[in-house]
Amino acid sequence: MIDPRLADIVKDVIGDDALELVEHTTAADVDGWDSLAHINIMVAVEEEFGVTFTSDQLGRFRNLGELQQYLAEQAS
Amino acid sequence: MSDPGTTIPTVEGLDGKGALRIAKDLAAEGRAAEARRWLHHVVDRSDDLATWSGAAKLLPRLLEAAPLSRSARVAVLGSSTTAQLATLLPLACARTGLHVEVYEAPYGQYRQEVLDPASALYAFDPDVVVLALHDGDVPLPLVSDDPATALADAARPIERLWELLGQRTRATVVQLNFAVPPEQPLGHLGPSVPGSRQRLLLELNLHLPAVAPPHVCFVDCAGLAASVGTRTWFDPRYWHLAKQAVAPRCLPLLSRHVGAVIGAALGLSRKALVLDLDNTLWGGVLGEDGLDGIRLGEGAEGEAFVAFQRYVTELQAKGVVAAICSKNDEHLVRDAFARHPAMVLDLEEVAVVAAGWDDKPAQLRRIASDLSLGLDALVFVDDNPVEREAVRQLVPEVDVIDLPSDPAGYVRALADYPYFATTRLTDEDRARGRQYRARAEAASALAEASSLEEFLDSLEMVATVEPVGPANLARVAQLVGKTNQFNLTSIRRTETELADLVAQPGVLAKAVRLRDRFDDHGLVGVLITRPVDDALEIDTWLMSCRVIGRTLEHAMLSRLARRAVDGGYTAINGTYSPTPKNGLVADLYPRLGFEPVGPPADDGTTRWRLAPSALSVRTHVRLDQLAADTGKAPA
Repeated sequence: MIDPRLADIVKDVIGDDALELVEHTTAADVDGWDSLAHINIMVAVEEEFGVTFTSDQLGRFRNLGELQQYLAEQAS
Repeated sequence: MSDPGTTIPTVEGLDGKGALRIAKDLAAEGRAAEARRWLHHVVDRSDDLATWSGAAKLLPRLLEAAPLSRSARVAVLGSSTTAQLATLLPLACARTGLHVEVYEAPYGQYRQEVLDPASALYAFDPDVVVLALHDGDVPLPLVSDDPATALADAARPIERLWELLGQRTRATVVQLNFAVPPEQPLGHLGPSVPGSRQRLLLELNLHLPAVAPPHVCFVDCAGLAASVGTRTWFDPRYWHLAKQAVAPRCLPLLSRHVGAVIGAALGLSRKALVLDLDNTLWGGVLGEDGLDGIRLGEGAEGEAFVAFQRYVTELQAKGVVAAICSKNDEHLVRDAFARHPAMVLDLEEVAVVAAGWDDKPAQLRRIASDLSLGLDALVFVDDNPVEREAVRQLVPEVDVIDLPSDPAGYVRALADYPYFATTRLTDEDRARGRQYRARAEAASALAEASSLEEFLDSLEMVATVEPVGPANLARVAQLVGKTNQFNLTSIRRTETELADLVAQPGVLAKAVRLRDRFDDHGLVGVLITRPVDDALEIDTWLMSCRVIGRTLEHAMLSRLARRAVDGGYTAINGTYSPTPKNGLVADLYPRLGFEPVGPPADDGTTRWRLAPSALSVRTHVRLDQLAADTGKAPA
């Protein structure tokens, strides 16, 4: 189950409210999730969740589940 | 929102995400025009990139279903990644009423695109070119031995781009100036060292506008960066990752302002600021607390209201017209302005005072009518959320600025509103408040005169005619860009295009000024004709809405007819091209005695013809003969 706040960000940036997002979803699975959309998503996640990714992290998460797990760790 | 058909969502307290959600719901129900309006609230209320991205994705199909009347082709050229700016600009521009199609030059190719006459940029035929350059692209060493040469070397390539764009397109160039990064090796010494990069970037920001030709205007990125903090504006992570010269989180802000400047360049700025009084211009309620009880001048709160009034007067000085819309007794209001020692705003400089007990939407309609402005030229400021919401719902064309509960935040709320943008400051702008007031006064003189003829004669109007040329081109271009009502063809042209047109052989391009016993209205009319065979073809005929109903058009046509007869022309031909706003002049040609030429076109365009010797119209405007005969304005 993907956090609705995270899912909304991806849906807004991609412009598709009907996207099915699960933990193993990767950029390659989603039409329109290109490098530009990726940046927009990461910026929005930083704002929404109050985190600051390192340069390395910005490109490292392999799927939504990994990103979500990282966010959960930061929140705890 | 479960049932938007019966519930009217309120804007107060809503954030950008909420506005986007409502826009999506309305779009899903096929209510495209309403959905598009909710996207305006996203632009106003959100600085969030994901929300803006979502709104920008939704916009195209709404524009298809509910088109805007103005459109433009915008090219984005940059020295760094411009993809988000290019994506967000249509949303930012739609907020000003402009439907834009965007062309984004390939990454880093801005010089090639401008230099190569066969580039895709020129094939796109832009109306606007956004030059989004950044500090890192300016070739400056840490300290230059020869500051003057270094500055010239930094500026010249940019000036050359402007020059080429001016020669090869009719586009307005929107140049982003340079934000200066916070990391400076010279530290406090930087601004003191004549050849330092830090100092030369600052000088470049001053130098470029000083040498810019009329088709170039600026977005003050240095100012935007300062307002959010340069540590926020510059984010090295995103520069290293994706060559984002402006931090992505600042792109909604940047896009909003670029959109506002593009709108201003195309004549879509708002013109009038309509102010509530109680708890907006002073603390307390005048009718209950009395002149001595209102809070103005004394104490922190009183000083905050003084600061707000001062900011309003400074907006007036740049050409924003102020009006008052208050539920109050008018005599109390006039007394307060006349007698309160801390009052800054001068009632003499306020164009219309609507103080009474009508609801505010009705007062706003009256103000628009008194000023001969569309409702979409007004911006309403009120501390009361209920009044704001009523105005949003009942007169949605009017822009509404939310004031925070603390008056100390009023100035910032008004300053953050970007749609009073202007690209030039003309003498007319500076005098506009007085002129609108004169117009409103003339409107009340009309109420006293026993006949319209008598009233018009009592105005003692005198017009002077002058050729369109360098001395008045900025003002003429401004009128050509923004005159909506009295505009027969609504052909929009930039200063450059106008200069080209005027230089063509046989073209008669005249500007007219009008003064009366109340005021000098300045340059208010433009009439441009081209010779076509034995006729003069009216290419452009427009008048500022300030002087509609004065018979100035009769004087302009009389003079043209005389020129036509003198020049041996047998006809004056005119075209009326209908727009959503120029219905006022739909029957102008037949009223002036023109005969129709053929049936109306499918789009409603009509063609008209007049034998100049047959013209018979009466005008109450005296033409200044000296100026008329020599074609020069009087000294």
